[in-house]
Amino acid sequence: MKTREFWLLFFPSLVVMGGLLVLPLIRTVQWSFEEVRYGTPGVFVGFSNYIEAFTDERFGKAVLSTVTITIVTTFLLLVFGYLIAVGVNRMTRSRPIILGIMLVSYVLPNIVGAVAFSWLFDDNFGGIVNRFIELLSGNQVLWFTDQVPNGILIIANTVWHLVPFAMLIILAGLQGVPVELREAANIDGANPLQMHINVIIPTIRGVLGFVTLISIMDVLRLFDNLIPLSPQAQAIGNESIMLYVYSVAFSNGAQRLGLGSAVNVLTILIILVMLIPFIRSIFKEAKVVR
Amino acid sequence: MTLPKIDLSTRALITVKPSGKRRVALNRRPPRVTGALLAALCVVMLSPFVWMMMSVLKPTDVAFANPPVWAFQPSFDAFINLWETTYFSDYLINTVSVAVVSTVIALVIGIPAAYALSRFPSYVSALLLVLALIFRALPRFAVVLPMYDISRALGIYDTRFALAIALVAINQPFTIWLLRNFFAEIPRELDEAAMIDGCTRIGMLRRVMIPLMGPGILTAGIFVFLFAFQEYLTALVLTDTGSKTVPVFIATQLGQTLPLLQQAGAAAMLLTVPVFAIAFVAQKYLVAGLNDGAVKG
Amino acid sequence: MLTIKRRAIPAIALAATAVFALASCSAGTRTENANATQVSCDYSAPDGNTTVNVLAYNSSAIDPFTDTMVSSCTTENVTLKHDPIDFGGQVTKTTATLAGDTGTYDIVETYGFVIPALADAGKLLPLDDLFDKYADDYGLNKISASMREGMSYDGSLYALPMQAQMFVMAYRTDVFADLDLEVPTTFDEMIAAASVIRDAGVMENPIALPWLATSDVTTSFQATMNSLDADFVDADGQVTLDTPEGKEAVEALLALKPFMDPQVTTFDQPKVQQQMFNGTAAMSIMFSGRMSDLVDSNNSKLSESIGFAAAPKVNREAQYSYNRLSIDGWSIPFNTPLDSEMLFVMMASAVSEEASTSAVPAAYPAREGMVTSENSPYGAAANESMATAQPPVVSPILASVTTEIRPILVQILTGGISVSDGLAAMQAAGETIAG
Repeated sequence: MKTREFWLLFFPSLVVMGGLLVLPLIRTVQWSFEEVRYGTPGVFVGFSNYIEAFTDERFGKAVLSTVTITIVTTFLLLVFGYLIAVGVNRMTRSRPIILGIMLVSYVLPNIVGAVAFSWLFDDNFGGIVNRFIELLSGNQVLWFTDQVPNGILIIANTVWHLVPFAMLIILAGLQGVPVELREAANIDGANPLQMHINVIIPTIRGVLGFVTLISIMDVLRLFDNLIPLSPQAQAIGNESIMLYVYSVAFSNGAQRLGLGSAVNVLTILIILVMLIPFIRSIFKEAKVVR
Repeated sequence: MTLPKIDLSTRALITVKPSGKRRVALNRRPPRVTGALLAALCVVMLSPFVWMMMSVLKPTDVAFANPPVWAFQPSFDAFINLWETTYFSDYLINTVSVAVVSTVIALVIGIPAAYALSRFPSYVSALLLVLALIFRALPRFAVVLPMYDISRALGIYDTRFALAIALVAINQPFTIWLLRNFFAEIPRELDEAAMIDGCTRIGMLRRVMIPLMGPGILTAGIFVFLFAFQEYLTALVLTDTGSKTVPVFIATQLGQTLPLLQQAGAAAMLLTVPVFAIAFVAQKYLVAGLNDGAVKG
Repeated sequence: MLTIKRRAIPAIALAATAVFALASCSAGTRTENANATQVSCDYSAPDGNTTVNVLAYNSSAIDPFTDTMVSSCTTENVTLKHDPIDFGGQVTKTTATLAGDTGTYDIVETYGFVIPALADAGKLLPLDDLFDKYADDYGLNKISASMREGMSYDGSLYALPMQAQMFVMAYRTDVFADLDLEVPTTFDEMIAAASVIRDAGVMENPIALPWLATSDVTTSFQATMNSLDADFVDADGQVTLDTPEGKEAVEALLALKPFMDPQVTTFDQPKVQQQMFNGTAAMSIMFSGRMSDLVDSNNSKLSESIGFAAAPKVNREAQYSYNRLSIDGWSIPFNTPLDSEMLFVMMASAVSEEASTSAVPAAYPAREGMVTSENSPYGAAANESMATAQPPVVSPILASVTTEIRPILVQILTGGISVSDGLAAMQAAGETIAG
């Protein structure tokens, strides 16, 4: 293809992405070195925003809680996604219905699902979950003011929202396992557990890696569902990094754009660091294919 | 580590009816236990919506009663009041039109770009994938806060157009990557053949490629539409009264009194119903699109 | 493949048309709220179509005024637009719209607490000239002078008062009657009554106060200090948190806590109302604007069993009651492009005599002598509360000090830090703001 043709075809996308993705990013980096509010030019302050972010206890807690929630959620997504995919793989005729129902929680806006979820757990609004728990154990669980139950609530909602996605991808991977491989293992006398652990999972390693990658990336950016589920996030230590940026740089009179931008940059760096192993493996694969 | 090249290409999945014979059922009994478990799972997955629907249909004085009331006279007041006393119809139009406009623009500029990139060797695709991942992984505020600033300066803050364009840009790396994978399946010889017959590159794109890519384009379109439809954070920052979308509206009602809380629930229910429909109808495309990503990625 | 595309497009087009058709058929039928009164609203409209954006949170007390404004002042060319929003949302949007040179809203609802800071920063237009011009047309001189004072700063009026809100106690008359309890007049009496109610097995957590960790909790703390004739800062702008009054206030709140729901720090006023509706609380103290919901039979089956009393004092020797007198009013932002005279007329019509009269009993209008024990179930309680409220300390730094100390206060109340450490931390935080 001639170079001129290529650029002609690629140009509109380049303009949009360059102007609306790259430029804002540059602006964020610029702001991170300034003390600035909206509508007014900023004052250059060097690295003081970064130092403030590093020494801010609130930011440290936000990172800790976000990373913890990410790790637990990703693990649960892999386990549940795998189990459900195996189950769905066995069904043939009812599969479209099952997939359709499962997809609803993924397709709906996260905040809508989180509001619906929160009503189930809110005693004040007649939520039934605590009733069940009281029936079974006689204790009340404070879902909104205790850190660990609130964390469990957030994780449960995130898993509920993302498991259809994980399940679908793993399902695709499962369907790619060659029949001969499974038959051979069967002949060798493998029981179902061994089949899964020694044959299937290694075969779909790539798919599982992909799910892990996307889950980590998405859950690290947790924001939407914290609004209804954790109205007191900062006080109980369940604030996520994005929620911290929101309160510092946008909402409620706290208009520290510089600090918020510094946190954004730090988050980008953290994510890039986490992505490096995956990026390396992608490039390695590309070289092989070539 | 590559998966064996079974015909899992998206075109194959969408256009060919899945034949049950591809998988050998090692367990030939109808999977009753699995079926029952999956049915229970479906109930659990839907329970928040069922609960919300019940709360919204109950009369206000028992809607949020503790202990919960199970027998009640259903009332549609929440829906009626939502439709008549708030601007919900405007919010719905905003949400849908922003999603539609995003999708159209994303496809119009994404298809040529994806095609152009697909005719490059595969290390370009790896590079693209990496870029798509990086941009997808970005904390959205890093991009959206400057957009807020720019849109206020340009005077397009709180317009549907600004929101649509923002969403196009945010989702563009993923869109191009998805479309590029579809295009890569179409052999290059087809390009040459069409151009020998006298088509220009662009003409060939229009007349030959795009019809061939129908399912791929539809899949990418559905994904972009969904991403735009679901968006909360960007809409929160970039809209106010003029172009408010339904998710933002619902979030502003969380501290309201009972009747308004029920209306927020009604709004959520009104969103859920079409989403149900989309989930069933577009399921094939969503599955195929995700498959493609997993296999090729 | 072509057929898939062919079938999909008409389907999508049909769906889109349906949505638009449905939407446009309802857009014209925005039924007027039952609380809206038609009053005269005579302003000179600009040429062409104009939209006036009104920022006001929803509550049964504010809505009558908002709805009257919207329905009376909307004409063919001028549309008043009011989006439903909760109180937290209004706080956020107020900051956002006043931040830059252009804003979204043209009329904003404000209250006495935020007026000093906003006025000091030049974010609101002074209304004195407009007030004098239209006083006769809309009977503005009948608006209580003390309330106008409450919405002034540095000698200028910055908001047109529409109503006053003070703390009122709502309690379950049936529960109190059954257990032969007197209506409490101090915190100790509340605790005593709560113990009796709990021991009788009627309710586990009989007291309900709005202590939302992101807003209301500091209002409660401030009201407690006001009862002891103190506040976060004194009239000279010195921070007075680590003081004997501050200590007594925090300890009084901690004494009430065991009788409240363990999740009380997630409760805003609507959630406290919900506790009364559900019968999980027997006494609650909230702003008067939330009172008429409690006796609305549409909201709860217990509406007949709710009685009202004046806000209690922290202890018998306290000079004032546990109370905040908040005056709600309408302001014009400095950055609105619309004609401020037109906006003032709209605001004035909303607080006119007819509008105010019909807002009773949901609201306590700012006009003289409108609320009595006859025309409002909580009228007597409200008047008594108002008489025992501390005259407010006016300071432009009060709002920011409050925001700064709030997380620390929550820590003290949830037991995260000790009272003395907490008071010292709050004092330090306040002093960084005071500068």
